Amino acid sequence: MNPGAGSTTAGNERAFRAISYVLVFLMILCLIMAISSLLSNIMPSWHTGIIAGVMLLIVIDRLFTHQRLKDLTPFSGEWAFALGARWIVFGVVIRLLLSYANGLQAFVADMSLFAQGYIESFLSPEFIVTLLLALLAWFLAAQFLELLDEIGLNQALALGAEPSFIQYDATAAHRRLVGLIFTLGIVLVILTALGRINFSAFFSNSAGSTLVERFSPVEGGVLLYFIFGLALLAQGRLMSLQTRWNVQRIPISSDNLARQWGLYSLIFLVLIVLTVSLLPTGDSLGIFSVLGTLLNFLWSILFFLWRLIAALAFIVFSLPFLLIGKGPSMDQMPPLPDLPAEGLPPPLPTAESSAIWILVRSILLWGALLLIIGFSLRSFLKQHDTLMGALRKAPVIGWLLFAWEWLRRNADRTRVSLSRVLEDGWQSVVARLQRRRSLPPLNWISLRSLDPRRRVYFFYLAMIRRGDERGLRRKPSQTPSEYAVTLEKDVPSATEDIDSITDAFVEARYSRREVNAGQADVVKATWGRIRRALQQKSK
Amino acid sequence: MTGTFLTLILLLLLIAVFMRGDFALTLIYLVVGALAAGMWWCYKALTRVEASRRFNTHAFFGEKVDILLTVQNKGWLPLPWLELRETLPVALAGPRSFQMVTSLGPRGDVKFEYSVDARKRGLYPIGPLSISTGDILGLRDSLQSRNQAQSLVVYPKIIPFVSMEIPSLSPQGTLRHHLPLFEDPTRVYGKRGYTSGDSLRRIDWKSSASTGRLQVKLFEPSIALETFVVLNLNAEDYYYRIRIDSTELAIVIAASISNWIVGKKQMVGLMVNGRDPLAADGRPQSAPPRKGKRHLMRLLETLARAEVIDDSALVPLLQRQRYQLAWGTTLIVITGRAHADLLDELYQARRSGQNSVLILAGRDNPDEEVRRRAKAFGIPVVKIETELDLNIWTKKARHS
Repeated sequence: MNPGAGSTTAGNERAFRAISYVLVFLMILCLIMAISSLLSNIMPSWHTGIIAGVMLLIVIDRLFTHQRLKDLTPFSGEWAFALGARWIVFGVVIRLLLSYANGLQAFVADMSLFAQGYIESFLSPEFIVTLLLALLAWFLAAQFLELLDEIGLNQALALGAEPSFIQYDATAAHRRLVGLIFTLGIVLVILTALGRINFSAFFSNSAGSTLVERFSPVEGGVLLYFIFGLALLAQGRLMSLQTRWNVQRIPISSDNLARQWGLYSLIFLVLIVLTVSLLPTGDSLGIFSVLGTLLNFLWSILFFLWRLIAALAFIVFSLPFLLIGKGPSMDQMPPLPDLPAEGLPPPLPTAESSAIWILVRSILLWGALLLIIGFSLRSFLKQHDTLMGALRKAPVIGWLLFAWEWLRRNADRTRVSLSRVLEDGWQSVVARLQRRRSLPPLNWISLRSLDPRRRVYFFYLAMIRRGDERGLRRKPSQTPSEYAVTLEKDVPSATEDIDSITDAFVEARYSRREVNAGQADVVKATWGRIRRALQQKSK
Repeated sequence: MTGTFLTLILLLLLIAVFMRGDFALTLIYLVVGALAAGMWWCYKALTRVEASRRFNTHAFFGEKVDILLTVQNKGWLPLPWLELRETLPVALAGPRSFQMVTSLGPRGDVKFEYSVDARKRGLYPIGPLSISTGDILGLRDSLQSRNQAQSLVVYPKIIPFVSMEIPSLSPQGTLRHHLPLFEDPTRVYGKRGYTSGDSLRRIDWKSSASTGRLQVKLFEPSIALETFVVLNLNAEDYYYRIRIDSTELAIVIAASISNWIVGKKQMVGLMVNGRDPLAADGRPQSAPPRKGKRHLMRLLETLARAEVIDDSALVPLLQRQRYQLAWGTTLIVITGRAHADLLDELYQARRSGQNSVLILAGRDNPDEEVRRRAKAFGIPVVKIETELDLNIWTKKARHS
């Protein structure tokens, strides 16, 4: 095992924790935005900005206090005190914020009613819903953090204890994380879909459309939720694997496994997002509009948080003045944050598209949909073996399978032959290029500078090159005599000359007999005749 | 997980259809795309991973075998994680096994080196190597592939004999003998004066001429030791409680005798009544008597692979084999128990000019009747209970 595995794992754990917490925060933020959007749609009079802000603060508190709360024994006195005190403070703060959001006068009136013992006025529906949502945010954050702990935190235990003592399955925890993310995703999708319904038009039965037609930031938030979720899954996968390897004492040979994992995950997600952005989606938004929407949404989140903090700070600073009866006027109060409904991208102009472009988009759309349905069906059938077995017995399915096999076999055959043809073509191009590169251009060779033996070589090689150009390539296994036979079949008029030049070459190449200039001249003349014969043949 | 996933897809499809929600379609692409692309990546990358081992496929007993394992990614898709588990025989690797986690970049490779100890003779598979990987998101179960196992042959333990008394009737060999019956005319060791009765063929005429008196040559007696080792691994011929130890001891004896005879530049053959996992018919092939190191290695390999067999009587095999052996060959039969029919067969061999030695391996006490009968037939019986008993052939020569 790597000697530094322990320290590396501990270092990774800290980095993992930081990244995981950020991702969890962002995912829950997306959920909060969807809830706020739905609330503002159903209950326009409620302070959805305050509700969202409270939920965000609760999540932040949960993230910061998770380690400390985890160390407390559940249902112990200390645990009950810590939680009880925290939630009493949360309840009071929520109530104060909601009262204050209605204005200073309403706030003072609520306080006086509370001082007189009218507790029921304290428990307004808005307050109860806010409290429940705060509890939900608290619970969800806790769920994520506990699962992440289960996936990654046992590494310290795994490094120190004997393997047999640990009955631990990080993969199961990772599966639960996948389930949680997807389940929450389903809830988020439902909330977003509900948020698209224009409830005021729906209930008033007005003639206006009951559907919001635009791609809202909340929908962008849903997309972001899934992207963050996939990133969290990628990280959780690495954590669960590392924990398993540590538990099973399997050494890790790569020092930069975590870094490479991060890089590959990033590339993977970016490619997926880019591909998804380019695919057609009915009234397609296109890549730039999606990116624009997402950036706009991120900006609105940041702006929203800033306004929320400013409002809270103002309330905190105004409390002492309130006690001495000099409360700030309504004009001085900063506008309370609301959901960032401003800055929505305008509906895309429906450009006049050509018929071909519409056809291409339709094909892509339906092709992608069919692929998805097929893929889902395949996954489902793979999970249910008995159903698969029963289906296989049906004759129609048998026929379909047979047809599919036939199609696949033929497609495979075509693919193989096509790839072979392409490869051969490519090899031929490469070989030709290499040959051209390796041999200097013929006009660079000065025949006069060559000795007679080399001149014979030259003329013979010239014949081979010409033959090659005519499609009669000399195989590496062919002897000069065998090649001569091949060439003679193509140029029967030059049979004697081909034999003559071949003999001359063999003698020059493989014997020690001296080759004189006269013999080289004879070979030159022979080559001239062969060349003419080849030229005539090609005409 | 599949249920949640399908519910999500169904819900998104419904939203896309009924509410014309672009985001639903985009989400479908995202979720299904991530799942499908992850699976495709993992599957495609794994198909291009190749592993190979380099090691000496034959090892002597007690040697350490270094194995170089190379894992190569022949494709362009990187593998973020790769879990390697090598299946190693417990007899060689003990409780430790080779496990490693690595990652492979495009066209990358990694090399690992580990070793096993040749602690027990036999034919062992090294591998198969199980290679696991999975998608980067962990949405699907890991994929696994296995590469082929390779074989490692561990030769049996060889105890170096210094001296061993094996009777032989083959004259004119290369081994000295005390009986003048086996005088070899090619091995002259001296001369003496002629005495009445000396054969004229023995007279050394040159030295007689130079000394002026008749001199005769003295020849050194020698024998050729052509031996055929018969190893019986029939399970019934070994006491069941110590069967494993006894058969292993028998194999060690056979290997050591073969080594000693080859060391003496004599011919040795081998027949094993057992099982060979690599042979087509499951029976080890008999090796006729030959000389040389190469032949010895062949015998050792046969012995390394030999396994105990059930219900395979030795005598019929011996009968068939005996007729193919030359006159004067010494049969060394190594077995756990000797029955009357085996002794009868060895007696027949003796009558037809072949010598026999019976070696009983293991702690099983031989029947007194067998001892008496062997003595009556003139068949030497050697009892080897443990490897320590083989000292009779390693120490004697030191004294001499």
